[in-house]
Amino acid sequence: MATLTRPATPVLTPVPRRRKRWRYLPQYLAVAPFFVLFAVFGLYPVLYSLFLALQRWDGVGPMKFVGLGNFEFLVTDPVFWDSIGNTLIIWVMSTIPMTALALLIAVGLHSSIRFKGVFRVAYFLPNVTSIVAMSLVFGSIFSSEFGILNWFFGLFGIDPVPWLTDPWAIRVAISIMILWRWVGYNAIIFLAGLQALPSDVYEAARVDGAGPVRTFFRITLPLLRPVLLFSVVMSAISGLQIFTESQILLGNRGGPDEAGMTMVLYFYNNAFVNNDFGYGAAIAWGIFVVVVLFAILNWRLIQRPGFLKAGR
Amino acid sequence: MTLTRRSFLTAAGLGVAALGSAASCTSPTTANPGKLTLWYTSGGLADQVVADAQQRFGADGLYPSQVSGQLKQRLLAALSGEAYLPDITMLGDDIATYFADSAHFADLRNFGADTVKDHYLPWKWQAGTAPDGFQLGFPIDIGPAALYYRHDLFAQAGFPSEPDDVAAAVPTWDAYFDFGRRLQEKLPGRHLITDTKTVYTYSMAQEPQKYFAPGNAYLGDAPQVRRAWDRALTAFRSGLTAGYAGSQDPGTSIERHAAWNSGKELSFVNASWIVGELKKSAPDTAGKWRVCRSPGGAGNQGGSFLAITKYCPRPDRAYEVVRWLLSPENQPRSYLEAGLFPTSPAAFDDPRLLAPEPFFGGQATMSVLAHAAREVKPAYFSPWDIGISDAFTDELTNVELAGKDPGQAWDDARRSVERLLTRQGVL
Repeated sequence: MATLTRPATPVLTPVPRRRKRWRYLPQYLAVAPFFVLFAVFGLYPVLYSLFLALQRWDGVGPMKFVGLGNFEFLVTDPVFWDSIGNTLIIWVMSTIPMTALALLIAVGLHSSIRFKGVFRVAYFLPNVTSIVAMSLVFGSIFSSEFGILNWFFGLFGIDPVPWLTDPWAIRVAISIMILWRWVGYNAIIFLAGLQALPSDVYEAARVDGAGPVRTFFRITLPLLRPVLLFSVVMSAISGLQIFTESQILLGNRGGPDEAGMTMVLYFYNNAFVNNDFGYGAAIAWGIFVVVVLFAILNWRLIQRPGFLKAGR
Repeated sequence: MTLTRRSFLTAAGLGVAALGSAASCTSPTTANPGKLTLWYTSGGLADQVVADAQQRFGADGLYPSQVSGQLKQRLLAALSGEAYLPDITMLGDDIATYFADSAHFADLRNFGADTVKDHYLPWKWQAGTAPDGFQLGFPIDIGPAALYYRHDLFAQAGFPSEPDDVAAAVPTWDAYFDFGRRLQEKLPGRHLITDTKTVYTYSMAQEPQKYFAPGNAYLGDAPQVRRAWDRALTAFRSGLTAGYAGSQDPGTSIERHAAWNSGKELSFVNASWIVGELKKSAPDTAGKWRVCRSPGGAGNQGGSFLAITKYCPRPDRAYEVVRWLLSPENQPRSYLEAGLFPTSPAAFDDPRLLAPEPFFGGQATMSVLAHAAREVKPAYFSPWDIGISDAFTDELTNVELAGKDPGQAWDDARRSVERLLTRQGVL
């Protein structure tokens, strides 16, 4: 009865409680699809995989609770650690040359050349090509004895490289595929960044007598830093998920010396080829930890004072 | 009706409500209730024979559905959800992984499978039988191993080249390696063995004992495993193996296909199912190949089964479909159309299969392959055999292609098998 003692608000007529609760129903309904779908296809699998990681399960029979057994195996599993190493190596080997090349292409596209639109589309095409089709083509390109790449090398008297059998050549081959796929995408992003740069700074540099190379390193590169950072973060996200290139090129087991065994491929192999779903789920959570560490690293990098404003 | 905010929200609300009520309904147990759904992989059954079965069992509503590639994944998902299940499903040569869960399937003995048992190769029939006698699988096909070789190049080098002569010259693996070394001197730069994995796999295929004894007792460092390992190493050290990348993965064995075409692969031991791939990727070599008994004797690699799930409402009709599809009368057609090697010895004598084959220079390869098929020794397969075999062949590949020390590779292979079996709760 406390409400009665309070003076009623003069303008708003009091709304009965029940009606008030349902008042926003249409709005809630409107946003519900996302939450329903997320709960069913996002949240539930995530929680279930955590439950699964504590079981031994072949996918058909009864599950057997093994506690942290799968995780115990995971931390002592040499292949898992190798797969983390492989993923990082391939990521570094693809990202560094890719960024440099993409910058070069972006600067090229930015300058006044003919058929600009055609080039932009052409550079972006690899990104929307089916990876499976691409990997089959690359399989032929990298073929040791009959591949076009080694034939090309042969023209210059270079010995054939066993692209798909030598552990390091495998990593290079996968990196080249990733580079091919993402260089155009990043070039377009860099191009957008370049077009947004203020022209007055360039005019000032020209007045001061700076050449194109000097301008690039002293003005363009520092100003592009936020865009560069974005591209590195994006490539880290895709780099930690390298899977298809390895799988199509080398099969489920990562090739000789398991050189092409990436984290996600190892997860796939255990869960969906060996049907060891409990261990597969444990690997997935192992990957999660690696990704979180990476995210923290990225975050720390961005949070560094003056990082984004650098160069100004 | 114009789209107002009110009508849109009403429609959206109704949609969500409909979703909710649909979810509360039970999903059907079988994929097509009232029909007999049959799951098989592409090329796993002969399409013509399946089409005939559809005509014949139209009244039963036979509904064949080709599942590409991921049949096992789909089956596991359907089994664990107990929904959208097939009535009849194909199972691969990993059928032993289902024995512990035979409760999901129908025992074919209940429909009189024992009466036709004698029409099929005993070792193959046994491979589809669980240790407790539960008849899970009905045999589709097998993969008897043989030595495929280039008749023209063997003859050119002045070596035995007729199938009987070659078979007599290479009765054992050691004799084959010796033969290979001498032949390579005449024809340098060519290979007689695909890779170490082939030697290991087909050597193990010839053994009557694999990795486990009946009752799932792990045999540990069994002599047959060491023997197969050492043979593979000998072949590698003698420079007989080509070591193509991914030569065992269909679709990625580009190097091997090229070697077939260029004549660099002089010979190889393989199960009979390779012939389709050989004909397709090296059509220009037609007439130059011959087949003879594999060094080391008869072995089998691969082969599938049909099984009926427990959820099938009319298992007796399903069994009739299976029996007809895989009957000794239909097997020759399946072999001719899809290369599915017969599991019924009666089919071996079918005149259509004994006809001379132009691709093999007029040789009737069935006589060689049928002989091997009959000689295969029955063996006990555990659910973990494929994983164990992979551990050993991975390490052999590391020796062959990545220059790993063989002793280290052997230790690593054993360690990874031990880890696998411990994790699975076997050790």
